[in-house]
Amino acid sequence: MTTAEPPGDRVIEASALTKRFNASVLAVDALSFTVDAGQVCGMLGPNGAGKTTTLRMLVGLVHPTSGSARLLGDPVRPGVAALAHVGTLIEGAAFVPHLHGLTNLRLWWESGGARWEDANAKEALGVAGLGDAVHRKVKTYSHGMKQRLGIARALLGKPKALILDEPTTGLDPQEIREVRRLVGRLADLGVTVLLSSHQLSEVEQTCTHLVVMDRGRLVAAGRTADLMGAADASVYFEVDDRDAAARLLASFPGVAKVHREVRGLTVDLDTAKRADLVAALVGAGIGVETVTARRRLEDAFLGLVGEEHTR
Amino acid sequence: MIPALRAEWSKTIRRPRTYVALGFVMVLPAVVALALWLNPPSQGDGPRFFAAATQTGLLFPAAMLRITSRFVLVVVVALFAGDAIAGEASSGNLRYLLLRPLGRGRLLTTKLVMTLALSLAATVLLAVTALAAGGLAFGFGPLELQPFFVNQSAGNLILHTFMATGYVTWTLAVVVALGFMVSTMTDSPMAAAGAALGFGVTAQILNEIESLGAIRDYLPMRYFDAWDGLFWSDRVPDDVWSGLVLPIPWIVAFLAIAWWWFRRKDVLA
Repeated sequence: MTTAEPPGDRVIEASALTKRFNASVLAVDALSFTVDAGQVCGMLGPNGAGKTTTLRMLVGLVHPTSGSARLLGDPVRPGVAALAHVGTLIEGAAFVPHLHGLTNLRLWWESGGARWEDANAKEALGVAGLGDAVHRKVKTYSHGMKQRLGIARALLGKPKALILDEPTTGLDPQEIREVRRLVGRLADLGVTVLLSSHQLSEVEQTCTHLVVMDRGRLVAAGRTADLMGAADASVYFEVDDRDAAARLLASFPGVAKVHREVRGLTVDLDTAKRADLVAALVGAGIGVETVTARRRLEDAFLGLVGEEHTR
Repeated sequence: MIPALRAEWSKTIRRPRTYVALGFVMVLPAVVALALWLNPPSQGDGPRFFAAATQTGLLFPAAMLRITSRFVLVVVVALFAGDAIAGEASSGNLRYLLLRPLGRGRLLTTKLVMTLALSLAATVLLAVTALAAGGLAFGFGPLELQPFFVNQSAGNLILHTFMATGYVTWTLAVVVALGFMVSTMTDSPMAAAGAALGFGVTAQILNEIESLGAIRDYLPMRYFDAWDGLFWSDRVPDDVWSGLVLPIPWIVAFLAIAWWWFRRKDVLA
């Protein structure tokens, strides 16, 4: 992957960002995280975790109650100059329904006082892949087409960073794949991406880094691989004789710990290999019905959020 | 600023609500002129616009302003003003407009200029269509109402028509300013338009309540009807001068609140 700027450049920075809407609603609570140049950062959290509010604060739509944010080094305030280099899609793409797709993009671009000739229109429209539909009124568009036009709009200014709020919500599987591929392609070009999602499968595949949120607070942040744990760090077994298997595996060299679960066993691996464990179980005459690598992001995420709830 | 205004204009003028409203104020004078031509009123016992308008079509715009300014035009400008910001919010477009690297004040300025231009377009289009329709039906002659010592040349009538149109627009700017202010506060353009209409109607009703005494002299639309004096004499009535000054503090106050509110608003739409 190439990066537009040397790694380590702070593209997005949130410091103790807090938003209280009223006495009882603390939407975002002292949230701090950074997104460096070249990263594809997934903001992950259940619905209502404060993701959209956070993204709105990052682009100056919502004023933080306390704390601050920086975009490409500039302190964020409404209409901050850095917005010229940031493409945004927030809570679904919205357009003027009675105007053509292309007209919408042009008028939006010009509403910022810029000249349409300076817009990166050809490339942006190529990416959106709407073809002749850009000459149709937006009210005739499907949700997916609007979303793609929204991504085209985000790309008009040749952005250094993209902030995408749930970009695949409401899209069909084919469109989701296209958006994912698009994000990957942009990341390869060195565009820094921050995208939010409540679906783990989505960020797991596309994001290099993760910010996990729950109830307005930061639960975890870091490289996706680190947060997930290595895919083979633990193994889930279902066997016909659970007690015998647990005894055998607990004393197996290179096994850290064995947990009993409702139906099977989860084995945390130290140096042991999955295949060796299976061989040992089969050698001892224990029938192995299921072997799955555990600690996929799904578990990690639920674990993180779960821990937070009991803390 | 200029490209932004141009973009705003082409967006607004293609909105059905805009051209339906502007089309309406053009059709209305034509219909009334036709009705008047088919069934002329008798010369009344005073300087009545419609009776006089059958003598010269140049007085027909004044007659149209008389019947539309108090309610129809208030509705039209209230619609335009209510739509200004809340219309963008209701379509979800406001957040994207605010993601351009410009301060929020710039968007407000563009929208305000646009709204005032549309309001002016509504009154001017009404007057111009009325001038054309009235002239075609009743001629473009001077006005002579012997018993009332009214004697106005054709040129004077046209000049006073445009003065009256400007005066009506300026007083309606109070309604526009209030609608614009509410439009920054709500995501519903109809709510903002309704507030502006309610304000315009209430201000006129309060004018009629004599027991309010001196308070009435500070109401923004106190002298709203004063322009008709322009057609009966060559002097500009004193009430017109008062009516030019009175809206200023109201407009300034409404716009100041709009700016203050919109700059600190959390845009959630």
